[in-house]
Amino acid sequence: MSHVNTTTFTIVVAAFILITGIGFGASRWRRASDMMHLNEWGLGGRGFGTFITWFLLGGDLYTAYTFIAVPALVYASGSIGFYAVSYTIMAYPIAFIFLPRLWSVSRVHGYVTPADFVKGRYGSRGLSLSMAVTGILATMPYIALQLVGIEAVLSVMGVGATTTNTYLKDLPLFIAFLVLAIYTYLSGLRAPAAISFVKDTLIYLFVIVAVFYIPTRLGGWGHIFGFAQTHYAAINPATKKPNGTFIPTSKKVGSTEIDFATLALGSALALFVYPHVITGTLAAKRRAAIKRNMSLLPAYSVLLALIALLGYMAVADPVTAANVKKAGNTQLAVPYLFQHMFPSWFAGIAFAGIIIGAMVPAAIMSIGAANLFTRNIFVEFFKPDASPHLQTRTSQWASLVVKFGALLFAVELPHTFSINLQLLGGIWILQTFPTLVAGLYTRWFHRWALVPGWLAGMIFGTIAAYKTASPTASHWAASSDIVWGFTLYIGFSALVLNAVISVILTLILRAAKVPEGPDETLPQQYTAESEDTPAPAPAGVGAA
Amino acid sequence: MAESPESPAATQAPPPVSPLASHPVRSLVIAVLVIATIAGTLIVPIYDSLTPRVGDFPFFYFYLLIFMPAVAIVLWIVTLLQKGLAK
Repeated sequence: MSHVNTTTFTIVVAAFILITGIGFGASRWRRASDMMHLNEWGLGGRGFGTFITWFLLGGDLYTAYTFIAVPALVYASGSIGFYAVSYTIMAYPIAFIFLPRLWSVSRVHGYVTPADFVKGRYGSRGLSLSMAVTGILATMPYIALQLVGIEAVLSVMGVGATTTNTYLKDLPLFIAFLVLAIYTYLSGLRAPAAISFVKDTLIYLFVIVAVFYIPTRLGGWGHIFGFAQTHYAAINPATKKPNGTFIPTSKKVGSTEIDFATLALGSALALFVYPHVITGTLAAKRRAAIKRNMSLLPAYSVLLALIALLGYMAVADPVTAANVKKAGNTQLAVPYLFQHMFPSWFAGIAFAGIIIGAMVPAAIMSIGAANLFTRNIFVEFFKPDASPHLQTRTSQWASLVVKFGALLFAVELPHTFSINLQLLGGIWILQTFPTLVAGLYTRWFHRWALVPGWLAGMIFGTIAAYKTASPTASHWAASSDIVWGFTLYIGFSALVLNAVISVILTLILRAAKVPEGPDETLPQQYTAESEDTPAPAPAGVGAA
Repeated sequence: MAESPESPAATQAPPPVSPLASHPVRSLVIAVLVIATIAGTLIVPIYDSLTPRVGDFPFFYFYLLIFMPAVAIVLWIVTLLQKGLAK
C-alpha cells in the first residue's frame, strides 16, 4: 500500500465507519412493534413522505452508473454517453404517467412487488413468475456495476493494488460488501433510506465543487469542449477510426442519433419497472408524494448532466488521460481526475461519496430482488402458509444470495465498459414492461400471449448481447447492435419483438375465446389516494 | 391474494365521471405538456447541433442541461393542473 494517500484514505475510512453505524442503527428508526414483517423490513413501514422518498429514490437512481460508468463511456466514446442525460430527462414524465397508478393499486391490495400486481391483475402464476425471475436476474448485473464502481475508486486510491493475489487485492471490496450485506440483513430498507441522506449531501458537495472548480484549472469550458471536439475527431492509429463522436451522427451505423434515442428511451422505460425502484416507490406514504417527486427528482438529473461532462474534463486533463491510458481502464477516469485536481482531503470526500453512492443502491436492489423471491417464488410455489416472520427471514437470506450472485457477474463479465452491465439488466427488465405497464391500463393483452412475448424478448436480447464483440472482449462487449440496418439498443429491439408477439397472440387467443383469467382489481383502485384506503394488511403477509 | 381488503370508498362509490370528459381542454393541455417533455429529448435531430453556441457550450450540451429544469417545472405545472381535474 505504498501509494496510499493517508489523508484521503483516513477520510474514506471515517465515512465508511459513519455509514456503517447509521446502517446498523437504522433498525431503530421509525421502529414498528413487529419488525419481522415484510412491510417493515422490505418497505420501511410504507410510511415515507415526499422528503424521504426523494432521498430514497435519488439513492436508487444515482449510482456508480452515474459516477463511474457514464463518464467512462463519455471519456471513451464521446457524445453517445450523453444518452444517459436524455434518459434521465425522459424517465420522469414517463414514470409520471404510470407510476401513481401502480402505487394506488398496490396500496389498495397490499402488493409488495410488481409481480404481486401482475398475479392479481392477470390471475396467472406463470406470468407472475416470469416477472419475478426477470426482476431478480436483471438486478444482479446492476448490483455488479456498483461493485465495479467501488473497485475503481479503491484501485485509484492504491488500496490493495500492490499485491497480485486476487483475494488480497479485492479484500477491501469484500469487506465493504460484507458490511453492506450484514446491515441490509438487519435493518432492511431503513438502512439505505437513512444512509442516503449522507450520500446525497456528499455527492451534491463534490459535484458542485467539481463543475465549478475543475474547469478553472483546465482553461475554462471553452477549452474543455474545444479539446474534446478535436480529440474525438482525431483518427485512432490502432483502429483507423475516429476516437469517438462529439455530437451524435445522422448516419445509420455507429454512434448515431437513433442509437442515442433508443438507448435513452429503452433505459427510461426500464428504470421505473426495476424492482428496486418500485420498492422505493411503494415505500411512499401518499400518492401525491410520488407525483411531487417526479417534478423534484430532475434536480438530480442536472447533476447527472454535469457528471457526464466530467468525462470531457478527464480527456482535457493530460495527467488524468495519461493515468487512464497507463491503467488501461476508462472506469478510472473520474477517480483519477479527482485525485489530480482536488487536494487530498477533498478527494477523500469525493471518493467516499462515490463508494457510499454505490452501496446505497446495492442495498435497495438486493431488497427489491429479495422481496420478489420471497413473495412470488417462495410463498407462491413452496410455502403458501409462510408466516410474516418466516417471509421476512427468507427475504433477509435472499438479499444475501442476490448480492453474491452479483459478485459473480462482477467477476465473470468483462468490465471494460461497466455501463454494459446496467444496459444488460435493462435488456432483461424491459421485457416485463408490456405486462406490467400495459396491465395498469388495460386487460386487453391476454395472459398467455404475454408469456411467449416475454420469452422471445428475453431469448433474443440475451443472445444478441452475448454475440456483441469488441477488440478486447469476445462476448458481452456492447449493448447496441445493428438491426434492420440501424444501430439500435438491443433492449429496444427485443421490446419491439416482445410487443409484436404479445399483440399477435392476444388477437389469436381472443378469437379462440381462451379464458382470460380472473382480475381482482377494480378501475377506481388505480387512482385511489391513501386517505380513502387505509393501508390494509396484505393477505399472506398481514399480521391480521 | 386471498381476500382483497378494499375500503368502502373504493368499492361502494359509483364510478366517477371521467375527468377527461368533464375537462377536455385541461386534459389536452396536460397530455401535450407531458408528451412534449418526452419528445423534447427523444427526437435527437431537434438539438443535435454544435451551433448556436451558448457561452462556451455547444448547443447539444446546452440543450440537454437546460431541458432538465424545464421538465421539472412542466411536471410541477401538470401536477397543479391535475389537482384541478379532480374537482
